[in-house]
Parts: sequence; C-alpha cells; structure tokens
Amino acid sequence: MTTSLKKLVIAVSTSVALMGAGQATADIKIGIAGPMTGPVAQYGDMQFSGARMAIEQINANGGVMGEKLVGVEYDDVCDPKQAVTVANRMVNDGVRYVIGHLCSSSTQPASDIYEDEGILMITPASTSPEITERGYELVFRTIGLDSMQGPVAANYIASQNPKRVAIVHDKQQYGEGIATAVRDTLKEKGVEIAMFEGVTAGAKDFSSLVTKLKQANVDFVYFGGYHPELGLILRQARQADLDTKFMGPEGVGNKDINTIAGEAAEGLLVTLPPSFDEKEENKDLVKAFEDKGEDPSGPFVLTSYAAVQLVADGIEAAQSKDPFDVAAALRSGTFETPIGTVEYDKAGDMKSFEFVVYEWHSDGSKTPVN
Amino acid sequence: MQDLLYFSQQLINGLTIGSAYALIAIGYTMVYGIIGMINFAHGEIYMIGAYTALIAITGLTALGLAWLPLILIVALVCAIIVSSTMGWAVERVAYRPVRGRHRLIPLISAIGMSIFLQNYVHLAQGSRNIGFPLLIEGGFKFGSDGHFEMSLSYMQITIFVTTLICMTVLSLFISRSRTGRACRAVSQDLGMASLLGIDTNRIISATFIIGAALAAVAGLLLGMYYGSVDPLFGFIAGLKAFTAAVLGGIGSIPGAMLGGLILGVSESMTSGYLSGEYKDVVSFGLLILILLFKPTGLLGKPEVEKI
Repeated sequence: MTTSLKKLVIAVSTSVALMGAGQATADIKIGIAGPMTGPVAQYGDMQFSGARMAIEQINANGGVMGEKLVGVEYDDVCDPKQAVTVANRMVNDGVRYVIGHLCSSSTQPASDIYEDEGILMITPASTSPEITERGYELVFRTIGLDSMQGPVAANYIASQNPKRVAIVHDKQQYGEGIATAVRDTLKEKGVEIAMFEGVTAGAKDFSSLVTKLKQANVDFVYFGGYHPELGLILRQARQADLDTKFMGPEGVGNKDINTIAGEAAEGLLVTLPPSFDEKEENKDLVKAFEDKGEDPSGPFVLTSYAAVQLVADGIEAAQSKDPFDVAAALRSGTFETPIGTVEYDKAGDMKSFEFVVYEWHSDGSKTPVN
Repeated sequence: MQDLLYFSQQLINGLTIGSAYALIAIGYTMVYGIIGMINFAHGEIYMIGAYTALIAITGLTALGLAWLPLILIVALVCAIIVSSTMGWAVERVAYRPVRGRHRLIPLISAIGMSIFLQNYVHLAQGSRNIGFPLLIEGGFKFGSDGHFEMSLSYMQITIFVTTLICMTVLSLFISRSRTGRACRAVSQDLGMASLLGIDTNRIISATFIIGAALAAVAGLLLGMYYGSVDPLFGFIAGLKAFTAAVLGGIGSIPGAMLGGLILGVSESMTSGYLSGEYKDVVSFGLLILILLFKPTGLLGKPEVEKI
C-alpha cells in the first residue's frame, strides 16, 4: 500500500515537473475551443481544421517573434456549462489566446472568464450581437453578426416581390433573433407578413404547420433556426405539395440538410458568409488544405484560419505577448487575411463583413444568387 | 368549403400522429397494467426500432433490392426482433431484480435504463440527425378549392392501416389466446395468478416483448413519416405516448388507443387554429383537466391502486 502510494507520489510529481518544463520553453499556446462531439460537431471540425492549418503555416514561416505557436484543443460540445469548464481549464493551462468558441451560447459565458483572466479571444463563428455588446476589451470575432444577416435575407426576399411571406423560427436565441430581424426589415419595406410562428426545436411532426402554410397561401417562407428542423419542414412540405420558396440563415447551410430533406433541399436559399475558398488570392491556401485531404469550403474554416493569423499578426504588431497590447494592436491596425482586409471597431467586430445569398442544391453544393 | 377542407386536413394529420402515439402507448399501459410500474425506457425502445429499420432499409437498398413491400417487411421484422429483444433484456436486467421493492426503485431503474440506451445510441450511431429515404410517396388529392386542396398520402394510409391491424391482432390476442388470458389474470392479481400455476415471469416478459414490438412498428412508421431519426427521437415521443396512456386511463388498452387519438388531434388542431407554440401547452393542459375530473383517465377502472 505504502509503496504504491509512494510510486503514485513520484509519478505525480514527475509529471508536474514535466508539465512545468513544457511551459518553460518559449512557445505561444493557442487554445482552440469548439464542439468535437454533439449535434453540431461538423461545424467544430471546420474550426479545428482551419486553426490547425494556420498554426502549421505560421510555424513553417518562422513562427511569431521567433517563437512557435502550439495549438491546444478543447471540446465544449456546444454546451454553455461545458464551455465554462473549458475556459477554466485554459486559465489553468496557461493559455493566453483563444480561438473559439463556436456556438454563441457557449462563447458568451466563456468570454466572461477570458475577459476577467486577461485572455484574448477571437471567435470565428459566433454571430450573436450580444457577445461584443458588453464593452469587453479582449473579445473579437472574424465573422459577421445576426443583425447583419437578417437584413441581407430580408432585402433579398423583398427584391423577389413575394405577395405573402411566412416567418417560422425555432424559439431559440439564434433562430428567433434572426427571424425577428428579417420580420422587422420586411415590415419597413412594406412586405406583407402572413404568419410569424415558432416551432419547438427537436420536434419532428410539422404536418400541421405545413397545412397551415398551405392554407395561408404564402409564396415565401423564411426559417430562423438550424438544419434538423428545416430539413424536416422542407421534406414534409414537398410531400404535401407545398411548393413555395424557402430561405434560412447559415445554421441550415450544411450538407446534413441533404440527408434529411433529400430532393426537397433543391432550391433552398441560404445566407452564408461568402465562399472565401473561391477567392483567387486564396488559391495556394485551398491547395494546402486539399493536399491534407481536408475541405476548405465550410463557412468557418477560413474564418478560423484568419483568427489564428490575427493573433500572430497582433503579437507582431504590438511586439508584445501581453493580450492587452495585442488587443490594442488589433484595434488600431489593418490586417490582410484570407477572409479579406480586417479592421476592428471598438467593440471587437469587423468594420465590414458581408453575407451572401446562395442557392442550395440537393447534392449539397451551392451557387451564389444575384 | 375551404374551412371544412382545412379542418379535415388537420384532422387527418392529427389522427395519423395519434394512431402512432397509440401504438407506443400500448407498451406503457400493458406494463403498468401488469406490474404497476412505468417503463420510462419504452421511448428508447421505440427509437431503437426506428434506427434498426433505417439500418435494414439502407442495407437492403445497398444490396440492390428494389421491391418496396419486401424492403418494408424485412425492415419491420428486423426492427421488431431487435426491439423485442431489447425490451425483454431491459426487463431482465433492470426491472426483475428490483421487482416487488418500493415502487420508486423500479422507476429510478427505468430512468437509468432510458439514459443508458439514449447515450448508447449516441455513441454507436452518432448524434446527428439521419434522414430516412423516401419510400412511400404520393397520395390521394381531393376537394381542390382555389389554392387549397386536401391530401391523404399513401404514407398516412399505411400508418392507419398498420395501426388498425396491430390493434385488432392485439385485442384478439388478449381476449382469445391462452397467453392473453394469462396476461389478464396476472394483471388482476399477480400473486393469485402465480398460485394458480401461471408462470408470471414468462407473462411479464411477454408483456414487455409485445409492447416493444408495437413500439418498433411505430418506430418504422413514424421514422418514414417524419423523415429523420436522432438519439433523442424516443424521448419526446415517449413522453407523448405516456401522456396518451394516462389520458386514456393507464392500464387500459382501449384507453391507450383513445388517448393517443385525442392527443394527436388536439395537437394538430392547436397548431392549426392557434399556434404551433401552444401545441404542448394545450396537450398537457388537457391531461391535467381530465385528471382533475377523472383521476383514472377516460377509460381507466376506478379500483386500480396496487402495490
């Protein structure tokens, strides 16, 4: 008993000593936090793949101020409680720069901890306006806001001159937020809104909703929410011969909607960040992803790449590894990244970020609509 | 005219869902009728039935089988076998060892089983929504009135007909067969039935197997009707079916059928005339109302209270 206890003590102290030794070398730790498991893990994959590539390439070019970047990955399952645990672990692990989180509901509580502990955070995916509304000094993003996305969708809808529009949402922060933004912009433009209604996230039966849409005689449906619900609505609508146009935010724009809706996903309209991977200047980067057998086309791959790059550029610009100096440098400088020229406002949002309307196809591909 | 069509369409929608709820509710009500416990893992058995059917359909299609009735029958048989085995195993592992103890113990065991099965499927099949292939398409259309026309899809007809067959077979089984008679005897008095030479363990296992088989049928039907499955698929459906069973009078088989239909129709009418957001409010409000005035449910016998 005592010998095994001794062994344990020795083992623990050795590993503690080793951990200490690891920190002693002058690497810069970049924490990457997002869902590796759970219902939205496919978005997390995009984030990790983009960030890993950026770290690899920056190190290959000599690192930052002569030091190497080291990526440390954490799984928050897109769960607010788990996100707080992850944030505390980062604090203990001595991480001072975070790429993440993915879901707005995770980013929000985690960012409280980062701000308090002096950790710089750049989220490549969270679009909720509230995240940057709290006057935090160390919170940035490389993605647009819901309040930008709603009007883009509404402008497109208005340009199609629909007679009657229905707006459906999933009653969650993200879905209802976007749906409300769309409704308000449409009202300003004088488009008639025949229906504004919530469904329960996780519900499966939308036959009553479909019947109602049919009777309301709408010719355009906007859905605020994620793909599992919209996929089923599309499928059940097509089976009931409801033949209107459907539109949704970037939360519906991934290939899983095709496995649920099948043919019914053809012609769905989605507002997404522009396909950065199709830009001419990113050709080499796209090739680097393809050489590794990874897909750079997801909406959050290159935003994550840009987030890592901004940390590196910020450190170089500030000539300091203190997150507050880096944050000041990010606010005052102009940076060239794969997602375009980045300039930050006081809140930590990009001064310009556009959303584009795409038409989704039943094979999972998409084409821009003009 | 259009209002009538709209009403009938919502009624059809409601009856479709309601008859599937009834199929699941049978499992709750039979188990309660016989051993007086609520099998909270039943919703998961239904979910596993849907997954098994999906796996079978995908496998058969990959093998190049194209004749639809054969695919459906094989998928149905696979789902029934897997779900029934699961139902039987759940009873053996989680309920039999604690049978006869304080009534909270099997209840906690059931909730544990439900969490276990849900997470098992999470790990084994992933947590994403998986789409069902569209197998039964099309339907009858009638009463076109301007833009609105009523439709009754072949899928809905399949659900009605299958439910009807299952219910008839079950009623005949319970009222005519030897095992059915033993089931009724055990539900009246377990101890006495055992004294009279009925193998009560076997009857209890049979109850779980029957309930699970019907849940598997519902899993296949609703999986195809809705279009996707996920590991939480069973949770909400289980809750609704449980409500249906209580509404109709838990322990009563006709009650479960009636409860399912009432619940389905009230849901679709609420989303049709009020708002989808109030669907669950009205369903559960209805449950509370009925229990206030008729504590044993619509068709429940007043004496029950066992253990």
